[in-house]
Amino acid sequence: MGRLLFIKTIEGRILAGITMFVGMMILVGWVAINEEARMQSFVRQHTGRSIERGAELYALNCSECHGEEGLGAGDRAPGLNNPHFFGYDPVGLHTAAIINANRALVRLNKDIENLLTELTDADNPPAAERQDEIITKVAELEAQIEEQQLAIEAAVADRIAVLESLDTAVENGLFPLWDTVVDIETTSQNELEVFFYNNGTRLAQVGWGGDLRGYIITTLIHGRPGSGNVWPNSEGMAAWSQTAGGRFRQDQIEDLAAYILNYDKGENWTTEDFLAVAQYGKPLADGSLPTEPPPPPAGDDVAGILARWADEEIVGSPVSGEMLYDAEFGCTDCHRNGASAPDTVGTFARISSERLTLPQFAGYSVEQYLVESITRPGDYVVDGYSSGLMPANFGVRMIDQQLADIVSYLMTQ
Amino acid sequence: MSILPFPSFLDDVKEKGFKKAVFEGIDDSVERLTAGLNVQDLREAFRGESASRRPNPRLTPHADGFWLHMRPSYFNRDVTGMYPTFRLGWLSSYFVFFETITGILLMLWYTPSPEIAYGDMLTILSNVPLGQLMRDMHRLGAEFMVAVVALHMMRTWITGSYKKPRQFTWFSGLLLLVITGFLSFSGYLLPWDQLSLWAVTIGASMAEATPVVGDQVNLLLRGAPELGANGLLRFYLLHVLALPALLFVFFGVHYYKVVIHGHSLPPQKENIGEDSAKRVPLDKRVYFIPDMLTYEMFWLGATTFIITVLCIWFYHAPLENHADPQVTPLGTTAPWYFLWIQGALKLGDKFFWGVAFPTIALGGLAMLPYLDVTPSRRFAHRRFMLTIAMLLVSATTVLSYMGLAKFAVQTSAETEIVHELTFEPAHSKVGTGRTIPFDQMIVGAYTTAQMHHFDDMTTNDMIAQINAETAANGQFDQMIQELKDQHLSANQLPLRFRSVPADEAPKLMQVMEEFAHHLEAAPDELPNVWGALVITDNQASLKRLDWVVSWDTVLIEGGNVQLDEAGEPILVYATEMVEVTDSEGNPVVGDDGEALVEEVPVLDDAGNPVPARRIYSDHLFIHQASAYFD
Repeated sequence: MGRLLFIKTIEGRILAGITMFVGMMILVGWVAINEEARMQSFVRQHTGRSIERGAELYALNCSECHGEEGLGAGDRAPGLNNPHFFGYDPVGLHTAAIINANRALVRLNKDIENLLTELTDADNPPAAERQDEIITKVAELEAQIEEQQLAIEAAVADRIAVLESLDTAVENGLFPLWDTVVDIETTSQNELEVFFYNNGTRLAQVGWGGDLRGYIITTLIHGRPGSGNVWPNSEGMAAWSQTAGGRFRQDQIEDLAAYILNYDKGENWTTEDFLAVAQYGKPLADGSLPTEPPPPPAGDDVAGILARWADEEIVGSPVSGEMLYDAEFGCTDCHRNGASAPDTVGTFARISSERLTLPQFAGYSVEQYLVESITRPGDYVVDGYSSGLMPANFGVRMIDQQLADIVSYLMTQ
Repeated sequence: MSILPFPSFLDDVKEKGFKKAVFEGIDDSVERLTAGLNVQDLREAFRGESASRRPNPRLTPHADGFWLHMRPSYFNRDVTGMYPTFRLGWLSSYFVFFETITGILLMLWYTPSPEIAYGDMLTILSNVPLGQLMRDMHRLGAEFMVAVVALHMMRTWITGSYKKPRQFTWFSGLLLLVITGFLSFSGYLLPWDQLSLWAVTIGASMAEATPVVGDQVNLLLRGAPELGANGLLRFYLLHVLALPALLFVFFGVHYYKVVIHGHSLPPQKENIGEDSAKRVPLDKRVYFIPDMLTYEMFWLGATTFIITVLCIWFYHAPLENHADPQVTPLGTTAPWYFLWIQGALKLGDKFFWGVAFPTIALGGLAMLPYLDVTPSRRFAHRRFMLTIAMLLVSATTVLSYMGLAKFAVQTSAETEIVHELTFEPAHSKVGTGRTIPFDQMIVGAYTTAQMHHFDDMTTNDMIAQINAETAANGQFDQMIQELKDQHLSANQLPLRFRSVPADEAPKLMQVMEEFAHHLEAAPDELPNVWGALVITDNQASLKRLDWVVSWDTVLIEGGNVQLDEAGEPILVYATEMVEVTDSEGNPVVGDDGEALVEEVPVLDDAGNPVPARRIYSDHLFIHQASAYFD
């Protein structure tokens, strides 16, 4: 080591030093040449990891309403794993085939016309050989015309098939404006195409001027009002960004957007994908509509609810309450650790010894406090937590028995 | 009469001829640039000949020039070898300048704001040519610098070079060591990833234990109760302004002292109590020009070359996920050079071990030359001080080991095992579960129970038996419920286990074997354990991997499994609430009018109590392009 580091002769040191400097420059040069490729691969890799983080955020925070597979859930939120969302036109390919075949027909007819003009030209009649050639050529072109006509017929049939298969989607409200714009029995093909053009994508429907990524990011940051004309129970989407009072940082918003955009299948969307989406929440899983009217929801009239429970002797079960709390309504998604919402553990003790001592809750019972917190979450928000995070529609989503079960479960916590 | 209206080079050409005029011009310029050496002098120097001019022109640059005015013009031959300096002081200086240059380059692309800083890291890695190399170099240089400066101090201790007259040199050196530590520490936070946020949070929390002013110190440092925008800005300014300024000032003081007193000779080379460093006999002189100059140029090239090679092939600065104050990663530690404090903190009182102990240690070091005033620097006369030095090294090593996350921090076995398989890339390591190639992540549910090969059974028979057993005892359903709770889509829930496709997916097989191996290693804490890996499709280019551990609950107190007399872990048995009935089977009603319930053990068909079964799961998503396996 010593001999290596302490080269005895001056020229030895100069030579070794120059070698080292040149070697280093060569290495750095070699790295520089490969930088472009390395940076590209870093971007790919980083996008992949961003999608992974987005997937995690989605599973924890979004899947409750938008569905674990992004297909939408019940009457709560639209599907995002949705051809409609990404601008896929279900009849587009067939329309394109028809248009292309029609263009080919025009070209073929033109060719035939030119050949016939040459054949019948009185001033400059073609030679006998040329005449034979023209006749053969015209016969060939006519065969091609027949081919194209068959192709058009096939494409038209395909397109009609797709449109017919879309009837279900139309009935199920996939195109909410359908009823007001077109009647499938009487509308011409042309009018249908115009309709698809105007209503084919979510962005067109909402009249969004920017691109899809911008739409997703904006919606994530600021939330949006519910489409009450489409879903009676829609409460709208909460603002998720910290800039708008939510809980996500900007990089998390970007991760989520990357994940949602990764649903896009580009050219590979199919009509089946179209129909798999539980859009607009109207149909049940099997496509049928509910026959029996469901029991009325609990609502958000706290006094009324408590009075009803007393009248109708509705008693909650903590066991079923726990299941509803954990799974059905996903309360534990937020109510754990106390990070984004008060911890479930210790609820009873906190309410009875801390909250109810506050002046605004004078005369409240724990039960009353709980019912109000669940059905009217905006009325009072515990210090240190953001308002507007807890969905305000639990009063609409729960029937009396479910609400009573959850309250009785929380009384044991 | 000059050719131009003023005296010029052309007059020289006219007078001496073109060639001679040019040569003399060059000679003159070189002599002025080098502050004293003309071309002939340089030629002689680099050929290793002695100087032909008198007085010796090789001393002029030290006397007249700026750049060499602080460098000695000659050294004692006894200090120019590997021993006694190991060139650690030179290396420390090298890293001061190396870090300054690479740091300034990185500053061009960095904004100290929590919203932007992490994005800037990504930009440096994805959009700045040579950005990654520069960041790797800066980071590796920082790690080296801390180590080199610490070693430099130990060397000074061992050779007794802190003794009179070099007491203050030692003291200023110790200041430089502390500044270096804080420089490295303050730089740690700047990437604003999970690693930096939590390492610095832990490091900074030590200040909290200071009595009376602890909270204020903490607040001053972090700018808020938690590290945020203000804290990042303060650390940045410390890192690029305050600490470098201090470092350069004390660097100057330290080096000035070194030159004033001369490099201390090896202890055996001088008489006891004598300091002969400044009296260099003529035959022992090694002149800076040309000998030391060429050495230093060569070392400069060699060191930079080695760092370049390391940063291209062997080292990449870690970058974890974006900092998140709400998610504490498992196994967080302070930077390695502060691990000894973290280890000491595990010994007990936060104030004593976190504040008093490091202060006493550093204070003791600072006072060392004033405490140890014995004249002799010979090793044989300094047995006590050398023993203290070795004890210091040993204690630091042991305390640093104790500072590691694996020492005396209670984590449950199942969490640890799953973490081991799934952790994000850091320090060139990654959880093995992430390294399965994407095409080998074949959708299905796999169990580690398959790894217990029974000789008389084919794999398929064994899987069938495992499926039958886990279905019968409800453990499979428990897993399904857990997966549902973890938001796995109902359409994707597995129906049964399948055997690991070892032929198509050898890496998957390997990971499952490792999973089984880890689980078997904790028989007391995880009795009758099996693990499962459930792979599902999430998006076309994205898979979801759910890791499940299922085991019989055992009694754990204070992080330790409780054993019975036979040395077996004490199991916790499942119970259920049932209504109390009287002898005729009617429910008993209590005083409050409610039916009485009691907790009774669950019994199996044979009447034996059933152990409570526990389940734990964690999941991760893997994208095709994430390339953890590259």
